[in-house]
Amino acid sequence: MAAELLEFGYLFVVLAVTGAIALRLGLSVIPLYVVGGVVVGPYVAGRFGLPYVADSEVVTLLAELGIVLLLFFLGLEFSLDRLRAARSNIGRAGAIDLLVNLPLGVVIGLALGWSVVEAFLLGGIVYISSSAIVTKTLIDLGWIADPESEPILGTLVFEDLAIAVYLAAVTSLVLGGEGGLVAIGRSLAIAFGFLGLLLVLVQYGTSLFTRVLDVENQEAFVLRALAVVVPVAGAALALGVSEAVAAFFVGMGFSTSGHRETIERRLTSVRDVFAAIFFFWIGLGTDPTLLAAVVVPLVIAVVLTAPAKVVSGYLGGRVYDLSTHRSLRVGVGLVPRGEFSLVIAALAASGSTQVMREVIPAFAVGYVLVMSALGTVLMQRSDLVERLVFRGGSAKTES
Amino acid sequence: MTVYESDLPGVGKKHEIELGDGARLVIVTHNTGKREVFRRESADSDSEKLFELDDELARQVGTLLEGAYFQPVQSTDIETLLGDNTLLEWVEVGADSDVAGKTLGASDLRQATGASVIAIERGDEVITSPGGDAMIEAGDTLVVIGPRAACRDFVALVTGA
Repeated sequence: MAAELLEFGYLFVVLAVTGAIALRLGLSVIPLYVVGGVVVGPYVAGRFGLPYVADSEVVTLLAELGIVLLLFFLGLEFSLDRLRAARSNIGRAGAIDLLVNLPLGVVIGLALGWSVVEAFLLGGIVYISSSAIVTKTLIDLGWIADPESEPILGTLVFEDLAIAVYLAAVTSLVLGGEGGLVAIGRSLAIAFGFLGLLLVLVQYGTSLFTRVLDVENQEAFVLRALAVVVPVAGAALALGVSEAVAAFFVGMGFSTSGHRETIERRLTSVRDVFAAIFFFWIGLGTDPTLLAAVVVPLVIAVVLTAPAKVVSGYLGGRVYDLSTHRSLRVGVGLVPRGEFSLVIAALAASGSTQVMREVIPAFAVGYVLVMSALGTVLMQRSDLVERLVFRGGSAKTES
Repeated sequence: MTVYESDLPGVGKKHEIELGDGARLVIVTHNTGKREVFRRESADSDSEKLFELDDELARQVGTLLEGAYFQPVQSTDIETLLGDNTLLEWVEVGADSDVAGKTLGASDLRQATGASVIAIERGDEVITSPGGDAMIEAGDTLVVIGPRAACRDFVALVTGA
């Protein structure tokens, strides 16, 4: 027991230190937690005979809670009404974003000789922008007050919904993918059946969700919220359904209960702890030598998908009637990828093929490290990007 | 004056206020309660951040801006608007006031003005819902409610202005 507790102490020290470095450098904490995990994990510290944190079942379980809570919060912030209210703009900008970036990732995967499911996983990883990194950078740079923040945040809302549907489908494909078409069909049916039931409950069970959390005591409140979301997520996973999507729906249920702000206030620190462990755990499972093996797909993906996001975001900005200069910023603002790409990678790691278990997770880690840094830097130096893009094209500079 | 409101999913809300010269004041209210205030010179320029306040400070500053403590133009008395035309006003009774030393009933303030005294503040003591036999003393603060015109008459009568 003492050894395990010490190992956890080690884990938290590393998270605290990497978090402090991120704050100091003004970077997102996500890539730094991952790097921290890689460095003190079995593949680096372990290989050099230094004390290391093992990729144990306990860490895996806590990381799993991190995924559940990340998606729970996403559902909490997600509102169907909001999507409906801004339907036309968000829908069009979001559809452009989806139709450009997801297929591009799938094509890259197929071109690498991967199977359809593997390519589809890659598509998801390169499609989904990082809500956490993008939102933080918007606030840091003050873009939040400018018109470009609306299409950027609107597109993120659309992506949230898209990723829920995507995860639901892909989880079934990955977990039930071995028994041929019938098995896939059955697991898809179970997934959408379970999630459909959950969605109905969420839509009509507002009073139930309200009553569950009607308690003054802080501790009871936090425990009750966890006592709803964790068992539902667990039941989903037991059925081979995406636990992340189940958590997302439970979050949606709570979002209309009138307790949304209280949940956010009281559970944010809980989520942050487990999410940090999740990013760290992703690092633990990453063998840097495997990163070397995915350099080629990585370079291809970065070179193709970074400009693709800029283009789709630019078009999204034009949907909102923004000037060319602001639309370009929308594109640049959506480049960072982060937490959800890693959630997809974690899902891929439970797959059956070697590509899913080793190549895709290593690829995703490398991709997120590059894109989170590249995206943030592009946003900070967007003036240079603008000059670069608009220098020659006289036709495009007219807004 | 036009105020534009928009949602910032995951962040909070944004309000933009036209300042008249093409510039806009942009207030971002975060879900955490933090307020950030920007100024955008024109539609094409970038917003310049002016300052940020936490929730509590923002409310205090907001009350000041609203003029709750000091209204240099309208009157120097504290007043609060209830509804369209009803005021809640605090009126100090000076030593030379006609009503000082009279009971509320004898002063006949309500009959004369139409505004009612709902409390009398005397030092740390507060007499709520005072009856007709309640004595008004110099140095008291009368808390008065009534239509705007009635309150104005009331102030004139009590302060002798």
